[in-house]
Amino acid sequence: MYRLPLSGIRVLDLTTAWAGPYASRLLGDMGAEVIKIESVKDWDVTRSLHPLGQDVEKGYNRSSYFNHLNRNKLGCALDLSHPQGRELFLKLVALSDAVMEDCHGGVMDGPGLSYDVLRQARPDIILVSISAHGKDGPEAGHVASGSHVEQLAGLVSLTGYPDRGPHESGISYGDPVAGISAAAALCAALLYRRRTGRGRWVEVAQRESMASLIGEFFVGFSMNGRQPPLLGNRHRSMAPHGCYPCAGPPEAGWLAIAVASDDEFAALCRVMGRAELAADPRFADVVSRYRHQDELDEAISAWTRGKTPQEATLALQGAGLPASPVASVADLMEDPHLRERDFFEKTAHAEAGVWEIDGVPWRLSLTPAHVRLNAPCFGEHNDYVLRHLLGLSAEEVAGLEREGVAGGEPDEFAHT
Amino acid sequence: MTPETAEDLPLSGFTVLELGEGVSAPYCGKLLADYGADVIKIEPLEGDPARRHGPFPDDPTGAGLPHSEKSALFLYLNTNKKGITLDFSTASGARLLRRLVEEVDVLVENQPPGRLEKLGLSYQELARLNPRLLMISVKAFGEGPYGRWKATNLTSFASGGQMYLTGDPDREPLVNGGYQAEYQAGLNAFAATLAALLGLAVMEVGQHVEVSAMECQACVLENYLPDYAYRRSNALGRRRGNVNSPLIRLSPPPPVGVLTLEEALASPQMRARRYFQEVDHPVAGRWVYPGPPFRLTDGSLSDGGWGWRAGRAPLLGEHNEQVLGGLLDLERSDLVRLRAAGVV
Repeated sequence: MYRLPLSGIRVLDLTTAWAGPYASRLLGDMGAEVIKIESVKDWDVTRSLHPLGQDVEKGYNRSSYFNHLNRNKLGCALDLSHPQGRELFLKLVALSDAVMEDCHGGVMDGPGLSYDVLRQARPDIILVSISAHGKDGPEAGHVASGSHVEQLAGLVSLTGYPDRGPHESGISYGDPVAGISAAAALCAALLYRRRTGRGRWVEVAQRESMASLIGEFFVGFSMNGRQPPLLGNRHRSMAPHGCYPCAGPPEAGWLAIAVASDDEFAALCRVMGRAELAADPRFADVVSRYRHQDELDEAISAWTRGKTPQEATLALQGAGLPASPVASVADLMEDPHLRERDFFEKTAHAEAGVWEIDGVPWRLSLTPAHVRLNAPCFGEHNDYVLRHLLGLSAEEVAGLEREGVAGGEPDEFAHT
Repeated sequence: MTPETAEDLPLSGFTVLELGEGVSAPYCGKLLADYGADVIKIEPLEGDPARRHGPFPDDPTGAGLPHSEKSALFLYLNTNKKGITLDFSTASGARLLRRLVEEVDVLVENQPPGRLEKLGLSYQELARLNPRLLMISVKAFGEGPYGRWKATNLTSFASGGQMYLTGDPDREPLVNGGYQAEYQAGLNAFAATLAALLGLAVMEVGQHVEVSAMECQACVLENYLPDYAYRRSNALGRRRGNVNSPLIRLSPPPPVGVLTLEEALASPQMRARRYFQEVDHPVAGRWVYPGPPFRLTDGSLSDGGWGWRAGRAPLLGEHNEQVLGGLLDLERSDLVRLRAAGVV
């Protein structure tokens, strides 16, 4: 058996929804002992976000969304806004390497759990704070979701059909971007601590981690003062470059093709059985092709409409051309490449049953990571945390449960 | 912000070799360099293809003319790196590359699939020279049935499942602005590199880390993939136009709407936090660059450093002499010979 890269690192995770939990999922994947802390009256909203979770008993343990984001973590219920809960939490901090929070001006500052307070409990503690806008500045108190984040960062102004205006991502993109950044940030702080012995307060502002992924546009704007036009699926210097309809029901088939050079265009024409197009003066060089994209797209669509996305992709890749089906979730779960790589892992969750979960996106050859632990049921590891780590007696834990400081069942009316 | 000394940055002391082109591996290398690592970027003699992509500064006629030292894409993605040119498809070039590999902690690459193996520069061969080497391969697909397929940002965005979900329901799927499939892979590769560096202390030997852009995207399809995995129903996973996931109903409306680049640059929040910073470059000039995606502080947000440094991208071959002469101890006459042979 091998040791995972973050084995021996304990992370107390107070985050909810997507950004923070995705960060701690990655850290858990890499071997950290992540203890997710919820409370009876304030638990992770994603436990309530799934159709299967609405009307079934203990639906909060059966949310696919929650269970997907919180695998490889332990779960403990502890109310940090209660003086006893706060005191126990600080004892846990003394036993931990890092704390992650995404509280909106809330619990971390409210009961006085600032970085300075945590540092008194453990001098080299690392605190990772994730927020939409950052912890200071005039908009620090504004609320925003991942979708607002990409609007504020400028990405949405760069995405869209030319005739319909700016368009947001199909996912709440600012969340996973902040999550991956926060996972990296915690690792960076651990490397820093290893060399210097000092902890850090790590701050991730979602707007900023998002803006980092469109950096060239800001440098470009400062150079020439121009907002680039919306291009749809087209590219400034490649043509053809687009998404084409394929055979079958409308939602079943789309194909993406990108052609960078004259050689690639000639290959495309040969595959389509239209070799004469490569010699057509309208398409003879990249500039002509760029100017006549509408005609070009028509000719390509006429060919793709007779093929499935998979057939067309195989033909084009066989000729050395970048092309891909526009994969749906269903396509991905059947995808031969992902299957061959054992990307999906089967899990058997005590309450949610057997299903497949996406695996670990970082493939380490010597220490491959897997889904080791199912997402915790609410309060599943209370005993481990309260009795084993903190050394409380069964009576003391029962007392905490009576007070609502700890607990095995959440208040289901907290998220309705 | 008080400027930090190089020794005080989180990745100070690590050395990295980057064989990156375009966006994915260069973004990984940029972040490693911005947070303190010593990153040596190897470019082909004609330069990273990103140098040929705009935007470019305007000339007096108002046109943004291509110039290999003035590409905003290249300038942004290669800050704080040292740059050398090396044709490692030649025997002499491959030999120099092997010697460099012996000196570094990390090699980051996004070479076309199979290219390094063909040149005798596979992980197995390089690990024999440097058993503690971490080699980070950033690929569109990774090893497997699609391993040799070609990809661009557009086709990669399609492969990973995000394009299918983006756009209006009555229109074709839509790609995000910029190079999001490649940036996501680069960001994941950066985080994976740091995790692997932490693991180095545990394992005492290096390893090969592969990051597939397709898998990076498939992991972040919101609740759509888990829902399908549970129920085998694709009801949620479709294009919804400008209405995001069920999560949004839980949040109040955004404080402001869609910001243009100009508005984002001028936003009071970004200005107050000094996120955008000017960086000077001897050929391209002084322009505005985004700051760090995360900040490491000593407890004070406004004071002290962020564990990050602003810096500029290298000129083509700017550090040939410093790196090959200094690190590899070659003499000036050796460099002249290498140049004459078309190796550097």
